[in-house]
This record gives sequence, structure tokens and C-alpha cells, in this order.
Amino acid sequence: MPADPLHILIAAAVSWVNFIAIDLFFRLPERGGVSGASEIGRQIEAGGGALPGGYMMGNIVSSPDASAGTLLAACGVFIAGVPGGLLTALLVYLGNRVCHDPGYAGTTGCITATFIVYGFSLIGISPASFIAGMVIAILTIQGISSVHASRLLATLWGWRRA
Amino acid sequence: MNLLPMLVFGLLVVLGTGGTILERDPFAKLISLSLIAAGVIPFVVDRGYLDVAIALALIVPLSTFFLLMACRRDRT
Amino acid sequence: MTPEEAALTVCVVVAAYAGIRVLLERNTVKKLPFLNVCSFAVAGSIVLILPHPLTIIAAAAYFIGTTLESNAIASTYAGGIREE
Repeated sequence: MPADPLHILIAAAVSWVNFIAIDLFFRLPERGGVSGASEIGRQIEAGGGALPGGYMMGNIVSSPDASAGTLLAACGVFIAGVPGGLLTALLVYLGNRVCHDPGYAGTTGCITATFIVYGFSLIGISPASFIAGMVIAILTIQGISSVHASRLLATLWGWRRA
Repeated sequence: MNLLPMLVFGLLVVLGTGGTILERDPFAKLISLSLIAAGVIPFVVDRGYLDVAIALALIVPLSTFFLLMACRRDRT
Repeated sequence: MTPEEAALTVCVVVAAYAGIRVLLERNTVKKLPFLNVCSFAVAGSIVLILPHPLTIIAAAAYFIGTTLESNAIASTYAGGIREE
């Protein structure tokens, strides 16, 4: 089967919506979970960003949340199908407990992403495309510009709270 | 492994080494050290030594913890 | 080019970009998001390089390890700033 760049873009959009929706649902931008996440949020605000978006980026950095769950679920489904995805959900839960986090966001994101990736593999989008798509999705949040990404996340958090 | 991944992971090791030598802040040095681990683990996985890769992935953060204890004592 | 090769190329390009951004960023704490992108890309690449059931555990162990490391570095940095 030849590769299709459109598949990677579709996978990136789906992964982006999945992890942002679950992180916002579990109120990650509300406060920094650990002191390191709060410090990252404050530094991003000092550099011109928005504080809730900075807290959410700090939480993504310092604990495996729904973004890590989506990536590892895509890896698990790529190798071993749905059981592999559920195994990664268990591993993400263990990692969350190690990082002093309740672990709801990561585990929920992993389980939903498992079934989303499996469903898209039935209609012809390979799970490998979802691995690349999740890498592109996390690049748009963490890797391009912390100022603009934190403002975008703060806007979305305003809608969620309203 | 193809040529492009090999070049990129080698580049990560070189960047991490250069950063570890050149950075002034001890915390920035530690961040560059974890960049070296990010470059090395794919080479170990490519040869098929998955147990070594798992052990390495657990040893590197633990050694960083002990280095962080030294950094903290230095700052206070 | 199969989907696996295309995905590996994307992951590897993102890893190189994130590694260069880690070195170019001057603020120590703001390096950590770029390091996180780099570890995402590397965890995705090692799964794509060798598809084997144990690779899931290797990728999860690597990813959780780097997350824990970033957490410890950021927390210690924050504590050090507060004590000064």
C-alpha cells in the first residue's frame, strides 16, 4: 500500500482533537499539577504567553497525559492491535502514578485513542500514520512557538470554562 | 536502518554532547545529557537488544536524579 | 514508500528539528517542551524501526523515563529559584 500524505494529515488532525479535548475535559490548564509544571507556566507567561496555556504545557511536559496516551496507543495498535493499546493504557497509568498524578487524563486518552486508531485502521488509514500524526500534533503545541500555543490553549480553556 | 534516521540520531548525540560541554547552567547540561540518551536508544533498538534499551531507558532518568541531588546541594 | 517509511521519515525530521531547538533556546525551563517533542519523536521512531511486542514496553519505558526526568529537573529548578 503506497503512503498518502493526506492520511498523515487526517491522523494529525484527529489526534490533535482527541488529546486537546481530553486534556481540557480533565481541567489540565486550571493549575500546575506539580511545582515543575507551575514553574514552566510562569516562565511561559513571563515570555509573553498566557498562564492557563503555560500550565497545560507544563502538565504535558511533566506527566504522561492524554498526548502521551494517544502516541503510545497508536504504537500499541500498530504492533499488537487492540490488546496492545490496552496494555499501553496500563503502562501509562503506572507512569502517571510514578509522576504523582491521579492519571485519569492519560488513561482515558489512551483508551479512547486505542479505539479511534483501530476504527481508522478498518477504513484504510494505517496506525503508523497515527504515530506520525501525533508527533506532528505535539509539534504544533510544544515545538513551534510557546507564546502563540499558550494563547491558543488559553482561548480554548476560556470556551471550556464558560 | 536507512541512512536518514541514522544521520539524525547521530546528529542528536553530537548536539547533546556539544550542549553538555558548552552550556553554563547545570540544569541545561542535564537536559543536553538526556538528548544523548534520546540519540543512543534507537541504535540499541535497531540491533534488536530490546532488553538493553528498556534497562537504559530506566537507568538514564535514575542517574539524572542523583545528579540533580548534587545540583541542588550546590545551589543552596 | 510504505506508510511505515513515511511515518519514520516524519518522526525523524521532527526529532532533528526539536533537538536543534533545544540547543538554540536560551531559557533553561523553556528547553523542556522541546525536549518533550524530541522524546515523542524518538519513542515513535523506535516503534517504527522494530515492530515487536517488547518494543511497546521499551517505548513506554523510554517515554515515561524522560517525562519523569523532565519533571524532576523542572521541580528542582523551581525549588532552587525559591530558596535563593
